[in-house]
Amino acid sequence: MTWGRMPSCAPVANRRWPGESGTRPKLATCATMLFSLASAFGQQSSLAPGGTHASQIKSLGVFFFWLLGIIFLIVIAIAVASIFQRGQSTQDEAAQRRLKTAIAGASVLTILILFGLVVVSVGVGKEISAPGGRGNELVVEVTGNQWWWFVRYLNDDPTRIVVTANELHIPVGRPVLIRGLSNDVIHSFWVPGLQGKRDLIPSRVTTQWIETNEPGRYRGQCAEFCGLQHAHMALWTVAEPESQFQQWIGTQLRPGAAPSDDLQQRGQEVFLSHACVLCHSIQGTTANGQVGPDLTHFGSRLSIAAGTLPNNKGNLAGWIADPQNIKPGTRMATVPLDPTDMQPLLEYLESLQ
Amino acid sequence: MSEPRVLDVSGLLPYRISNKSPLWLGQLLMCVIEGSLLCLLIATYFYVRLSVDVWPPPGVRLPSVMLPTVALIPLLASCIGSYLASEAAKRDDRRGMLVGMISNLVLGGIFLALRGIEWRGLNFTWSSDIHGSIVWTILFLHTYDMVADLLFTLVLIIIVASGHYGQKQRLGVHVDTVAWYFLVLIWLPLYGVLYWGPRALGAK
Amino acid sequence: MTALEELRAEPQQAEELARAWKNRPGPLGWISVTTHQELGMRYIVTAFIFLLLGGIEALMMRIQLASAENTFLNPARYNQIFTVHGTTMMFLFAVPVMEGMGVYLVPLMIGTRNVAFPRLNAFGYWIYLAGGLLLYAAAFTNTMPDAGWFAYSPLSGPQFSPGKGVDVWAQMITFTEISALCVAVELIVTILRLRAPGMTLNRLPMFCWAMLVQSFMIIFAMPAVMIASTIFLLNDRTIGTHFVNPAEGGDPLLYQHVFWFFGHPEVYIIFIPALGMASSIIEAFSRRPVIGYPALVLSLVANGFIAFGLWVHHMFATGLPQIGEAYFTAASMMIAVTSGVQIFCWLATLWSGRLQPTAGLHFIFGFLFIFVMGGLTGVMLASIPLDLQAHDTFFVVAHFHYVLIGGTLFPLFGAFHYWFPKFTGRMIDQKLGKITFWLLFIGFNCTFFPMHILGLHGMPRRVYTYVPEMGWGPANLLATIGAFIIAAGGICFIANVLKSRRFGTKADPNPWDAGTLEWSTSSPAQAYGFIHLPVVASRYPLWDQEKSKDIVTGLRNDRREVLVTTVLDAEPDHRLVLPGNSIWPFLTAVGFSIGLYYSVFAFSGYWIATALGMIGIIGWFWPRQPLDIRP
Ligand code: HEA
Ligand code: HEA
Ligand code: HEC
Ligand code: CUA
Ligand SMILES: [Cu+2]
Repeated sequence: MTWGRMPSCAPVANRRWPGESGTRPKLATCATMLFSLASAFGQQSSLAPGGTHASQIKSLGVFFFWLLGIIFLIVIAIAVASIFQRGQSTQDEAAQRRLKTAIAGASVLTILILFGLVVVSVGVGKEISAPGGRGNELVVEVTGNQWWWFVRYLNDDPTRIVVTANELHIPVGRPVLIRGLSNDVIHSFWVPGLQGKRDLIPSRVTTQWIETNEPGRYRGQCAEFCGLQHAHMALWTVAEPESQFQQWIGTQLRPGAAPSDDLQQRGQEVFLSHACVLCHSIQGTTANGQVGPDLTHFGSRLSIAAGTLPNNKGNLAGWIADPQNIKPGTRMATVPLDPTDMQPLLEYLESLQ
Repeated sequence: MSEPRVLDVSGLLPYRISNKSPLWLGQLLMCVIEGSLLCLLIATYFYVRLSVDVWPPPGVRLPSVMLPTVALIPLLASCIGSYLASEAAKRDDRRGMLVGMISNLVLGGIFLALRGIEWRGLNFTWSSDIHGSIVWTILFLHTYDMVADLLFTLVLIIIVASGHYGQKQRLGVHVDTVAWYFLVLIWLPLYGVLYWGPRALGAK
Repeated sequence: MTALEELRAEPQQAEELARAWKNRPGPLGWISVTTHQELGMRYIVTAFIFLLLGGIEALMMRIQLASAENTFLNPARYNQIFTVHGTTMMFLFAVPVMEGMGVYLVPLMIGTRNVAFPRLNAFGYWIYLAGGLLLYAAAFTNTMPDAGWFAYSPLSGPQFSPGKGVDVWAQMITFTEISALCVAVELIVTILRLRAPGMTLNRLPMFCWAMLVQSFMIIFAMPAVMIASTIFLLNDRTIGTHFVNPAEGGDPLLYQHVFWFFGHPEVYIIFIPALGMASSIIEAFSRRPVIGYPALVLSLVANGFIAFGLWVHHMFATGLPQIGEAYFTAASMMIAVTSGVQIFCWLATLWSGRLQPTAGLHFIFGFLFIFVMGGLTGVMLASIPLDLQAHDTFFVVAHFHYVLIGGTLFPLFGAFHYWFPKFTGRMIDQKLGKITFWLLFIGFNCTFFPMHILGLHGMPRRVYTYVPEMGWGPANLLATIGAFIIAAGGICFIANVLKSRRFGTKADPNPWDAGTLEWSTSSPAQAYGFIHLPVVASRYPLWDQEKSKDIVTGLRNDRREVLVTTVLDAEPDHRLVLPGNSIWPFLTAVGFSIGLYYSVFAFSGYWIATALGMIGIIGWFWPRQPLDIRP
């Protein structure tokens, strides 16, 4: 038997996400936290909704929980009571008939309850999938790749199309239409704080609306098993006020920042003279590979490699030096670099704001 | 307590060659399995058909209706052979069984030969596109079943011809006809779907 | 002869019958067995070995997930292990173990001596074994499948799953499917045609009804998985058809539709026999006929039908048209009505009875607790908005382990404790049985309850690790601890079986004072089942004593003869001589398997399978002496 070895995800030193305190929950809190606000559960919880749709789903869920919970308790109570019931008095005809009537009554009640549940479910289902467009919607195309997200902000004006990766910025209070596509296998776009999930299926286009009124960061994660690194295919959604969002779009429309000092200049040369250009694009340079994420504004992004690591120099160095160690199986190749080239390259990439 | 009673069954036949035999029911269930397989493939055919605009895909010639329609004649006729064989099996009429089964085999063989000729005229294979895949799969599975059934008929012919048979083998002859009727019957909707379906929906 | 004379002559008759039903000695005899108890037990034991393997895989997964960024398993290994775990549990454990219980018990419960097609039964077992060996041979040569137990295309396609793992998976499904179909056909015919005289359908024990419904579901559901796995997936991979690979113009959703058209009924195929078991145990230990027999039968049948109409609830996230979604929500919820009726009938029966607190009944209470909870989370999943959040998260993992383990494993364990005397002739240790129950019950809830919370807090399923910031660590740790408590329960169970089989007190024919026919014959049951086939006049022949003494005479004891009765009223129709031991089912299965194994590598494997299978079948049917069956 050959248990082939493959490096596993190595623990990495710097785990703090930008603007995060990094507390860890205790066991006791977990068990009791079913409905409490789940701040300790990071920013990826359907019980801590920020989006309009996710809140509606949560309310529906709470309703189901209480109703079904009560039914559960009743059923268990009857079962337990039957242990102590002597069974003697229920032998005669009349008692048998009473029991049968009880069965029939409970069945009818079940039908009625279920009918009600169908009606409210379909109702909420309509609301969460209804087109939110009031003419002011934003259309974003999200394409799944093994194992990262390609993001494109569509616009009638081709010069105003923004391309980025693994990160979504959305304006608060404006409906956003996500057009889902896939380049390889089936993925699923899921930001629990905002909305339910929707599969990204090769050969098809799926759609989904999201909208939020609360600025904040919502983590999302690919929900459909998509191969080796399905576990490390996350993305960040940043909801911000319209003005800030416009500013962000404005930055994204610009080509990659030109190197502002010698070190960065050297970094750009390193980037352009290595295999990086075969896979990555940086607008404004000759790099226009299409295999990996666009890096034009990489420095402004929160994470490296689809939410695997917080974006900082240390982590980036680790990633470029040996991506296969951090995310075994990732489609990014390890590019041999001269040790002296690393520092400039990091400087350059982080300067791409 | 009352005296226990007995139900004496020694007078009952130790074997029955008829639809009352459990084996007959077993064969029927096998046909149901096969039938649900083919029905799902028909559903697949329509699913695929509805998901594309042009059917068959450009450049693909529809299978001609002529040959398969002609082939229905020997196919339907072969059922008569099956019927004769099964009736003869019930009577233990060796000659009748042989005549029935051989005519079934010959007519079934002619049908398959016509199908073979038809296949040579198809300008697509299972690997050319999804139309080819589904059409070939249906044709292949049905043909496979037919060949298997005819082979089995051949074995029964050899057994009966050798005279080395008893009630079990006669029951085998009877039950074999169930399978054949099924294969003929199920072919009719398949034939309709494969040859007339696309034409009815306007393809040339 | 009068009845009394017949009964007095029983010792000689038993000897004669034993001779007619004896298995040949030696290994050759061992592989040519065709009696239902022997084969049923082989099914059960083999399935339990697979449960153990699947359980060990589960423990490995649990160790890996116990803490954030654990490195016990690498991603490739983790993906293989959950795939093999799911596949083993569904196809090599749950379905076969239910088949095995059916094969063992149904003939005894309906008062006959064997299933209608004994050699088909043997063939089914060997094919099942061959399928299991294929998967584990692949596992030990490092070609495990790794695309999940439903192997969605295109991930499972040639482009993204090179190697032979997925091909092995697809063909292994074919094996278990053929085996299940064999058992389904033979059980249907057995139940419809071999019932004891007087056992009208209206007097059929619930467990047999359950097996009947389950068998029909197999007949309609299994062809679909053959289409999905073999015709779509394997042919796309090996001979270049274009069904489900989008890169070649295929449609990945077509695969999902066909797979779940099978996959949803599949879970009820596992679940429905367990309902029958629960019913038998409840009746026996509350010493009451089940209340609402017609309602229970109808709801079982309705369950079987509705199950075919709700496969799309596994595909809500793919974004299907709205009306379709509303329909599938309604259908998925309506199946709760049939389950509800069943639960209510049992509650009423328990209520009206005086309960014997045996280990078997403990498991039934465990079943009620866990299954109802799992069923209710199922209702939540059937609601599209909730499913869009919960789909593909640990919430779903929690749901299906609640229904699979609570709804089927607990009744199964209960059934084991209940029928153990009939299987082995000895009583099972009740105290150890109760310890097993509490370990399993507590361990189970520790393992799977936290998964609901994890799922709602965003933990997707099938992730080999997670980052610590997500806060999923503690709940996962609890789940891992629970899994080891379950394993302790498993060890306790195995110990109990081994101990009681050797040292348990000897059992009477009817130690529980139960009402159905299998308890009227000796414990353990002899290979021929009954010396005299019974004549039945009520639903619980052993409880209605005065009517139960009638017997059938006139069947020959020197050969394997059974009585065929009519479908509805079970009136005697004719006698039937069943085939004896035969090595041909084994040989046919071997030949067929060689071909199917080879088809993993090349399409020509099918030709080999056909040729070798044909040779086997000819040998199988070749006339043997005596040619003519004399009265
Ligand atoms: C034994 C197996 C079994 C059983 C019995 C069930 C029973 C049910 N299941 Fe489950 N299910 C699975 C096994 C099973 N399931 C598996 C294996 C999967 C996952 C496959 C995978 O993805 O890997 C799955 C997944 C699954 C999904 C898809 C989830 C997803 O992937 O997004 C859904 C959605 O609708 C669902 C629903 C249901 C429902 C409504 C029932 C109902 O039948 C439940 C009915 C029972 C009750 C409701 C309790 C008793 C009733 C009462 C006490 C009456 C009162 C009740 C009310 C008034 C509500 N199941
Ligand atoms: C009948 C079906 C069945 C059963 C019984 C089980 C039993 C268990 N399952 Fe299973 N499970 C599935 C069917 C089943 N599962 C399916 C279909 C999937 C989906 C796969 C997929 O996504 O493709 C799944 C997925 C699945 C996952 C999710 C993986 C993921 O998505 O990442 C997990 C994680 O915890 C899990 C855990 C367990 C555990 C701890 C048990 C325990 O209950 C097991 C306990 C049993 C034993 C431990 C064996 C008995 C023990 C002994 C005899 C003692 C001796 C042994 C030792 C001490 C080692 N299962
Ligand atoms: C073989 C193609 C390939 C080459 C060569 C390559 N990359 Fe990548 N790169 C990828 C892919 C694919 C990803 C996405 C990986 C993932 O998330 O799994 C990626 C991701 C990245 C990321 C993270 C982007 C994000 O938004 O998360 C950075 C930064 C990066 N690469 C930099 C580099 C640099 C610097 C080089 C050269 C030294 C390089 N890459 C060479 C394919 C490549
Ligand atoms: Cu992409 Cu999972
Ligand atoms: Cu389902």
